Amino acid sequence: MTATTVDHEVGPRSSGARHYLLHAGWIRALWMTALFGAFGFGLVVLLRWWGDWQPVLNWTPLVLVSVLVCAPLGFLAGLGTFDYWAAYAIGSPTRPDDHSSHGATSWKDYFKVNTDHKVIGIQYLVTTVVFFILGGMLALLVRAELAKPGTQYFDPQTYNGLFSVHASLMIFLFVIPAFAGLANFAVPLMLGAADMAFPRLNALSFWLLPIAGIMMLSSFVVPGGAFACGWTGYVPLCSTHQPLGAVFFNQGVQWAGASSIMTALNFLVTIITMRAPGMTFWRMPLLVWANFTTSLLVVVATPFIAGSQFFSMFDHVMHTAFFDPGNGGYALGYQHIFWFYSHPAVYIMMLPGFGIVSEVIAVFSRKPIFGYRLMALSLMAIVVLGFSVWAHHMFVSGMASYLRVPMMITTLLIAVPTGIKIFSWLATIWEGKLHFNTPMLFALGFLSMFVIGGLSGVMLGAVPIDIHVSDTYFIVAHIHYVLFGGSVFTIFAGMYYWFPKMTGRMYNERLGKLHFWLVFVGFNLTFFPMHLVGMEGMPRRVADYAPKFANLNMFISLASFGLGASTIVFLYNMITSWRSGPIAPSNPWRGMTLEWQVSSPPPIFNFDEIPQVVGSPYEYGVPGAQHAILAPARSKEIEEVTVP
Amino acid sequence: MRRGSIASLLGIGVVAGGCAAAVALALPWLPTPASDEAGRIKPLFWFVIVICIVVFALVIAVMLYSITHFRAAPDDDSDGPPVHGHTGLEIVWTLIPTLLVTSIGIFSAIVLSRNDALGANVLRVNVTAQQFAWSFSYPDAKGLTSGTLRLPVNRSVLLTFTAKDVIHSFWVPEFSQKQDTVPGITTSVHITPNRVGTFPVICTELCGLGHSVMRTQAIVMSPAAFEKWLHGQAKAVSSPSSDVAGAAVFKNNQCGACHTLKAAGASAATGPDLDTLPALAQGAGTPLEEFVRQSIVDPNAYVQKGYPRNVMPATYGKALSKQELDALVQYLISSSKKG
Repeated sequence: MTATTVDHEVGPRSSGARHYLLHAGWIRALWMTALFGAFGFGLVVLLRWWGDWQPVLNWTPLVLVSVLVCAPLGFLAGLGTFDYWAAYAIGSPTRPDDHSSHGATSWKDYFKVNTDHKVIGIQYLVTTVVFFILGGMLALLVRAELAKPGTQYFDPQTYNGLFSVHASLMIFLFVIPAFAGLANFAVPLMLGAADMAFPRLNALSFWLLPIAGIMMLSSFVVPGGAFACGWTGYVPLCSTHQPLGAVFFNQGVQWAGASSIMTALNFLVTIITMRAPGMTFWRMPLLVWANFTTSLLVVVATPFIAGSQFFSMFDHVMHTAFFDPGNGGYALGYQHIFWFYSHPAVYIMMLPGFGIVSEVIAVFSRKPIFGYRLMALSLMAIVVLGFSVWAHHMFVSGMASYLRVPMMITTLLIAVPTGIKIFSWLATIWEGKLHFNTPMLFALGFLSMFVIGGLSGVMLGAVPIDIHVSDTYFIVAHIHYVLFGGSVFTIFAGMYYWFPKMTGRMYNERLGKLHFWLVFVGFNLTFFPMHLVGMEGMPRRVADYAPKFANLNMFISLASFGLGASTIVFLYNMITSWRSGPIAPSNPWRGMTLEWQVSSPPPIFNFDEIPQVVGSPYEYGVPGAQHAILAPARSKEIEEVTVP
Repeated sequence: MRRGSIASLLGIGVVAGGCAAAVALALPWLPTPASDEAGRIKPLFWFVIVICIVVFALVIAVMLYSITHFRAAPDDDSDGPPVHGHTGLEIVWTLIPTLLVTSIGIFSAIVLSRNDALGANVLRVNVTAQQFAWSFSYPDAKGLTSGTLRLPVNRSVLLTFTAKDVIHSFWVPEFSQKQDTVPGITTSVHITPNRVGTFPVICTELCGLGHSVMRTQAIVMSPAAFEKWLHGQAKAVSSPSSDVAGAAVFKNNQCGACHTLKAAGASAATGPDLDTLPALAQGAGTPLEEFVRQSIVDPNAYVQKGYPRNVMPATYGKALSKQELDALVQYLISSSKKG
């Protein structure tokens, strides 16, 4: 790549001394997946035969252990994610500064275990976009069925599977990891660090994701059909009343959750210990603050969903009775544990977006972020309050009724820090010098749509209103205003914003703007009418509905197809620009944060020398203000050669 | 700020707020209330909506004003004024929303406690939910059971729920009251119907393959009509004539929600047409009576082509008493032969 690669010795794995079947890579992954799968299969058969449990060939535990647990471990081992640790564990010589799997020189390097946070960031983003498209297609199938009342195309099992897998993919394989991908790329650069704190853990985190996604999708082809109990997986429907597909969901969540937790730990350690000299907490860009707070949420909350899915799966496979009321279990216990994760998860899916929007709005308004400290503190307030509101998902669940009013109060109060953020962004654009590039359009689109989602959230916080609209299309509208109008808009903003830095090329601005307007209009036409049908009486998660909602549903379905089609513009723009867009300068947006002070794409170890941070990252308009002092970089020379 | 800019900011705000208010007023948001509880929720709803519209208009006004007035020329590389914050403003937009949400919280808590407070002379109804049917029993009328919920107008009703299999949720949009039914525990909800009419009862918690057809009706009647129905029904179920008893079982168990049977006035198409039972039995190669009985008790034993498995609840074998089952089988056979 550049002269910097030569500085670091080539690691032992590239020596080529080993047989090609033993090289870390896809060939080894293939046979190790099969080997581990067979081991799991044999283990279960052996234990069942030994314990005389009939039938010995019971498919549910067999598939669980061999396909959903052992085979993925074999895949990871074969691909080489454990190689370094395994070598260390058996006493082979290892070098802590082994950088042989760092950086990418060809597209093939993106299909290997790579320890470079920039490569991993792109791996994350491409993977999540693939799942975004797959999840979106499932949503379009749902809308096709809902265009008319009655059932048209799908039997109930398939239909229920469609919306369940749609939501699971969008949440666990798109929104959460897409943010992790953007942060993976940007956070170490913004901190002035050479990489994440644990690059090998980072690589492992990424490779868990495709496993989780393929697991959830493949549940469509197992006998009995996909898991069809919604992404919330409420028991006992999802434990004792579901086919084998439910276990694919339980286990898919474990892989995605493990990935999340590892990434969050990585971010926490990176942010706490690897800030450049002078980068105090109060000088960190808000994107870093956002990922710091998100990671706090992830490490505390995600183990809860892991627990809930394990218990549910045990009830299903091992006939335990954690939630089985027939045997003394408590069905609502699941909901409490599940929402203790899944409400904070709403903020896990939103805080990184807040960070992206803060970066984009400051840069494209050419003004400092208004009330920077309060912005950071409100993120912390959301983290703390976020853990005290979970039961607002359960106002009609039958939980103890005295819990409702306190949970309502915390729920309503969480609107305050969120409001502070919205008002501060508005004050930031006020009297700025606004440039309406695509990232800015998506940021402003987010601002307007998230206000609607936030306000419908306040309505839902009020218990008596919530009792009326719980589990109706109003909820569907609300979550899409916060997760699509909120999270997805900010993901698009982030992707366009860092596209030049990631790829070294500029995207097509006209197509970007076209994409924004198609999404903005399509989104509102699709999701706004859902508020109305829900309020009037249409429940969610149904294939069939009262004839009086037929016209609005036809309208929503047609709009959703338009919204789906807008993605083609995005993909075309990303692919063609990545291949042949104009070469990007190192700082196309004239940003002050550190990632814009190095070449596009950045050098393999980011900074030739660790920069010295001397001020705030948002000092736009302050004469002579500097965020950091960088040593004159060697990579600058290379940039001068490649950029005419 | 110049006076002109304040005026145009206000102008945009009024237009944005007006548009939002028009959407709020022109569309039929909440169903027309049919219970005292829904009537109490409506003012709360509008209180929250007004706050929402004001906040929305404010945000949109500032945003649109900024977009139109602070747009930089393409070649303008200058920066905006380096304003870092304003403590007064930040206190204001922390305090005002706090006050607003607190007022929403207080209003909601009052509505909630009044909605939960039982009136005098409470009518108790025990509701059993199972995949995919509701049954309502009236302990005051010797456990009379019905598949439709009949209620007298202007009387406090306490519905107590149990679920046989998975979680379901009881909702009547016009009552604005909703309650999940959870296996293993009993839950309850309070409703005071105040309008005579027929309203849909909808299951709103995903409960399996037949979730979207798990519906029935809530019929609010005058107190006199309700008493008359209560006594008439109690007689019908204990009637010695199997046809009358069978018809009551058919109705009480909501068979007509999924099946067609002319004699019962049912015309649903989720499950096979019961008027064609003799032909269906022939297709299955089973004697008619045995076929009908087996299809109720163990629906997956033979599933008619074109219909999915596992949609018909397999719980009727346990839910129905032997007399009820016999009466239902006889009723189906005699009705389908007529039909």
